[in-house]
Amino acid sequence: MTNFETSILELSTGDKLVGHPIGAKKNTGGNLVFTTGMVGYVETITDPSYYGQIITFSYPMIGNYGVPELSKDQLTQSFEKDKINASGVILSQNSHSQFHWKGKKTLDAWLKENDIPGIANIDTRKLIKIIRDKENVLGRIVYDPNTPVDFYDPNEHSIIEKVSTRTSYTLGKGPLKIALIDCGVKWNIIRKLIEKGCRVEVLPWNTDFNKVNCDGWLISNGPGDPNKTLDLPARLKTILNQDKPVLGICLGFQLMSLAIGAQTGRLPFGHRGHNHPVYLTENPSRGFMTSQNHSFIVKKESIPENWSPWFLNANDESLAGILHKSKPIKGVQFHPEAAGGPSDTEWIIDDFLSDVKSHKGLICH
Amino acid sequence: MPLNPRLKENKKVLLLGSGALSIGQAGEFDYSGTQALRSLEEEGLEVIVVNPNIATVQTDPKENRKIYLYPINAHWVEKVIEKERPAGIIANCGGQTAINCILELDEKGVLEKYNICNLGTPLPTFNLTEDRELFANFMTDFKIPVVPSIAATTLEKALSAAKEIGFPLLVRSAFALGGLGSGVVHSEEELKKLATKALSSSSQILLEKSLFGWKEVEYEVMRDGEGNAITICNMENFDPLGVHTGDSIVICPSQTLTDEEYQLLRSTSLNIVNHLKIVGECNVQFALDPFSKAFYVIEVNARLSRSSALASKASGYPIAYLSTKVSIGYNLLELKNPVTKTTSALFEPSLDYVALKLPKWDLKKFVGVSDCLGTTMKSVGEIMAIGRSFKEVVQKALRMVHENEHIFSLDHTYSNTNNILEDIATPTVDRILKIFEAFRRGHSLEDVSNSSFIDKWFLCEISDLTKIEKSISNSALGKAFKSNAEYQVFLKSINKETLKKWKQAGFSDLQIVNLQTQKAPYYDDHIDLGSFRNALRNYRKQLEVFPFAKKIDTTAGEFLAPSNYIYFTYFGEESDVEFFRDEKSYLLLGGGAYRIGSSVEFDWCAVTCSEAIRQENIKSIIINCNPETVSTDFNAADRLYFEELTLERILDISDYENFNGAIVCMGGQLPNCLAETLNKNGLPIIGHSIESIRRAEGRVVFSNILRGLEVDQPEFISANDIHEVDNFLKSIGFPILVRPSFVLSGTSMKVAHNRAQLEDFLVKAGKVSKSHPVLLTKFIEGAKEVELDGVAKKGEVVIAIFSEHLEKAGVHSGDATIVYPTQTIEPHQLKKAKDYGSKIVRSLNLNGPFNIQFLVKGDQVKVIECNARASRSFPFVSKVSGVNLAKIATKILLGTSFSSNDITIKNKERVGVKSPMFSFNRLDGVDPKLRVEMSSTGEVGCISESLENSLLLSTESVGLKKPKKGILIISEGQEGNPLTRKIIDKSFHLGLPVTTNFKIKKDFLNNAEFKEVEENKDQLDKLSKDLENKKIDLVINLIGKDLPKKFNFGKEIRKIAIKYNCPLITNTELASAFLNGVYLNSSSKKSEGVHYLQ
Repeated sequence: MTNFETSILELSTGDKLVGHPIGAKKNTGGNLVFTTGMVGYVETITDPSYYGQIITFSYPMIGNYGVPELSKDQLTQSFEKDKINASGVILSQNSHSQFHWKGKKTLDAWLKENDIPGIANIDTRKLIKIIRDKENVLGRIVYDPNTPVDFYDPNEHSIIEKVSTRTSYTLGKGPLKIALIDCGVKWNIIRKLIEKGCRVEVLPWNTDFNKVNCDGWLISNGPGDPNKTLDLPARLKTILNQDKPVLGICLGFQLMSLAIGAQTGRLPFGHRGHNHPVYLTENPSRGFMTSQNHSFIVKKESIPENWSPWFLNANDESLAGILHKSKPIKGVQFHPEAAGGPSDTEWIIDDFLSDVKSHKGLICH
Repeated sequence: MPLNPRLKENKKVLLLGSGALSIGQAGEFDYSGTQALRSLEEEGLEVIVVNPNIATVQTDPKENRKIYLYPINAHWVEKVIEKERPAGIIANCGGQTAINCILELDEKGVLEKYNICNLGTPLPTFNLTEDRELFANFMTDFKIPVVPSIAATTLEKALSAAKEIGFPLLVRSAFALGGLGSGVVHSEEELKKLATKALSSSSQILLEKSLFGWKEVEYEVMRDGEGNAITICNMENFDPLGVHTGDSIVICPSQTLTDEEYQLLRSTSLNIVNHLKIVGECNVQFALDPFSKAFYVIEVNARLSRSSALASKASGYPIAYLSTKVSIGYNLLELKNPVTKTTSALFEPSLDYVALKLPKWDLKKFVGVSDCLGTTMKSVGEIMAIGRSFKEVVQKALRMVHENEHIFSLDHTYSNTNNILEDIATPTVDRILKIFEAFRRGHSLEDVSNSSFIDKWFLCEISDLTKIEKSISNSALGKAFKSNAEYQVFLKSINKETLKKWKQAGFSDLQIVNLQTQKAPYYDDHIDLGSFRNALRNYRKQLEVFPFAKKIDTTAGEFLAPSNYIYFTYFGEESDVEFFRDEKSYLLLGGGAYRIGSSVEFDWCAVTCSEAIRQENIKSIIINCNPETVSTDFNAADRLYFEELTLERILDISDYENFNGAIVCMGGQLPNCLAETLNKNGLPIIGHSIESIRRAEGRVVFSNILRGLEVDQPEFISANDIHEVDNFLKSIGFPILVRPSFVLSGTSMKVAHNRAQLEDFLVKAGKVSKSHPVLLTKFIEGAKEVELDGVAKKGEVVIAIFSEHLEKAGVHSGDATIVYPTQTIEPHQLKKAKDYGSKIVRSLNLNGPFNIQFLVKGDQVKVIECNARASRSFPFVSKVSGVNLAKIATKILLGTSFSSNDITIKNKERVGVKSPMFSFNRLDGVDPKLRVEMSSTGEVGCISESLENSLLLSTESVGLKKPKKGILIISEGQEGNPLTRKIIDKSFHLGLPVTTNFKIKKDFLNNAEFKEVEENKDQLDKLSKDLENKKIDLVINLIGKDLPKKFNFGKEIRKIAIKYNCPLITNTELASAFLNGVYLNSSSKKSEGVHYLQ
């Protein structure tokens, strides 16, 4: 008879689910979240916004198309960072084989290579209902019951240092110089900017922004509670007081909102997936599919004067974007760069860049 | 923008249906149309439905709904428009038929004349998507890649285009249903053949680069008038490009696509619908290179389709309902997701399961059709399996189609010596079974993949399954279990994890037992596998290995949803359903895959039954697995199990739901066949008792009962007593009807004209056994056939409705033209039939719906058979008579009361005629001759004040156009038949040139244009030209009982008629009645009356 190895998923709610270990054979703890995206597991697992989180995939078959080879000298497509950022993965079934032309290894092998544990054969629907119904659920995957592991809550810590680059670097050769504040940036933001003709200077979160020379600012996505980012919101005030175009994405949007005096709050279980509808507050009959990944939101009612809500979430009416009434400063809660998920709002990046262009033009005159 | 302002002034909307079910256009449009009706009616709009398909749910008379049972063409729809003056028209729920109709209405200026707006996608878009050259240019303008191709209107152009692109080439014809006249050609010779055929039914064909081996992926897209667009889901074909998507195994969502590929094709789909200005639903098909990011757009269907129905069931998102809202002016942000009721309709469903569609072919019902698949669709139905792994769904799906819990092995006739790798290179109806077999025979993944070009990921899953099969059989260590007790002891050696793994891989209990005991599931006298299966089930439950019921909620559990749409999976540890424990509830069994003889009519019965149950404040639970049905719409019941109709699954349901009884008499023969085994396993069946069903369905038992009741019947003998057969034959002679028990649509039913044929049939019937014997019956020629559809209560007839066949006995009732009320049956004959009916009902103690068929000839009334269930003609007679038999039957099943008005026949001045629809033109090589075995794929039913007008309406609805150019009459030994004379007479009166293969007396000619032809190849070629050039536009082939000749002129003519899409009648009575109708219609000046159901 086959020998069935087990791992246990323990929840802060007291629930326990038994499954089979995949990836690294070790224990892990983190904030339990779920994503409803049906494709894009490589993008998701490498996304720095998932730092400290254990991701549950609602789609039951993960790993079907394998994992491509990460090339050392470029931002390889499908990877949002050169390493796995999630603390662990939970799924129903792991595909033991892959045959995609781009695939080079199985999900299991890749997780092992990155020393990240996972657990398979879990009733993910049951788990998702628990996460949905109880707020802020923490979890730990226990492979070895003899090694203790804590319930770790990344939102209790300042984790921006763990995901931001330590030194600045520049990519791309385009005419527009974008300063990108790395709060845990997804590679696809950089890829999109380069593709659209930018020279991107990726800056550590603790850079002295006053010394940066650029045509426009992009405050990136990233993990965790925006209130646990030390002095970053305060320091962002400098750039928001400039007249240069600014685009905040996800955590970047939340940080920008804190900097202008708005408040953030927490969603019961976050928005994670590729099917979240948002609509334009100016034209409530025009909506878009967006890729989202966040637990925290900016409180609608806390938006100061001179700013207007730009997008609202069509499911729960939560704030999904703001814009300044006179300056080219904007922020969105979702991911216009997609990867994974739909790129229906990529025009936001284009609009930002045309702001940058016209702003640059104004300066030259 | 909310509701279109024009609909606020004039609340009338016209909805076009799709007509009779045919291959390529089937039940999915009843599902779409029915959702559209709900969408419109809840807005307070009044809907006028034009659809002659009387067996559909959408043609049910309801408040604020009028139904015109008319042919769907500009002529008849204009009449309706003229009378009703609707504000708008919705055509996208009626398939290609409705689209062609609205385009014709527009072209003729009818829409403009009556100021009617087309609701939904603008009409020019259809011209763009259906004219392949326009489409290709349009896409190219927007830099969307399309397959290199050239359009041709003549054979010469086609040949030169082929030189340019090179072989292999795909040939497609424009403006055709389901890829009619399409195919891959490898040489000039093949191209000549196919192009000639395609150009006969279409003005234009397209030749394109063959993308052999590429992946085929579809996206279902919805766009509103504001430009908001979403994809509902995508679907990946298991079979690579080259097999029509209707004949492909399809999985939703895609399994082998990366995010990059998924999003690339998704964005392209949205780009396409924006450029095409779609308002509503649209289907986009892609070819994706399995080794690069290259892709092409293959096709766009700018309307609801079979794929959209599948996508709707697979995702839980009610596409037709929402697309209709969008068509009448709403934008998606104004609408809620009907499943969660709280979140926006502008979203893309997230699936936390996988759905697999498997087509159902019924090719054995046709003579001369190859089982190879290509770009022309051949399947008549489909099923969908839902689960949480590919293995789970593929096995479920195979059981749903094969309807036995068999090991999925090939027919025993498939030889071990066949080169299986060679065989799987060609897509065939059983290719997937051959792939299983190839792995069982030890072929490698590489070999199977090189041969079939199917993605290795899918193949690997199948290879895994065959490995698990092996480990299941190995688990028994070659033991031969002599008793159930021995088996039970053995079971203890299997641990929970192992058993769970097998069940998660989708193996049924019976499959496991089969593998462990190495026995075929039936016809084995030594061991009772049923008891082994029960032992396994009990042991499994002890170990707590059972399936869980999971919801389909469109959001993968992200939001709380009160969904009642359920599937079972072994991947889980809890159910998320609140089961009916204390409320009164009934389990209603649907009919499974549509097939010849069981389709939309039983869906109507099931839907009507469910509605009637809910009207009594009782919970209705439906189990069915056919995505093309209304009964699997989550609104049709209080709970829907989209599941396999097997004992195991029904027992699973009964372990959770405390239903008061199971209803097996409304879904056709499949549930009826399950009655006995369900009952044996302790499930209460309501309605007819098991004993009644057994006595009615067992041919021999039933015949003996009739004998006892002194009810006349054709002489018969059971083939059990093979020695007595000779004496029997001596006394009554040939022809003989050969009939097995428990069958629908005459499966294996044959007429034997001589001893050799009889022996051949008996061998082929194969499964002759004591429990289900074969009956030989005297075949009575020249008799009329009468149907009694009725409902009985505790052995008494409550209502009996008689209808008659226009054709003489010998044509299967499903292929016959049925007339209600009876026109030619004498009162004394009807009285006798009624008396017989009462006697039978009393003797069988029937309690529910039933159908009895009679032969009537002179003073003789003979009973042929009785079905203790709702019959195919229930919706027809119910709607024409105004007595809803399915509803009354349900009330009797539930034991609730009905009023005398409920059973009073209404509209007595009307005559209803039901005509069969054949799909012969879709089946290459078929001989369209009618036999006792059913071959029609659908039907229509029309009403008027006269038989002739109803017949003309219904024949026109199935494509039998009135002849205008010339008639060809080919007799095969029917020259002497008085009706033949009548047919010729009527043809002459119509003033049309007539060609025959027999002599006609001069005095009879009467100056008519007449030609007699000899039966030879030259004449055949000449006639073929005439048919091709439409000089002949009606073929009447009067078939006698002559045995096949070497050169069968009639058969050749039939095939040519089908090839050139020429109306063909092969029955004398029908031909005579049809021509009579045409004649009366053309000579009468009075306008046709307008009739509708309300």
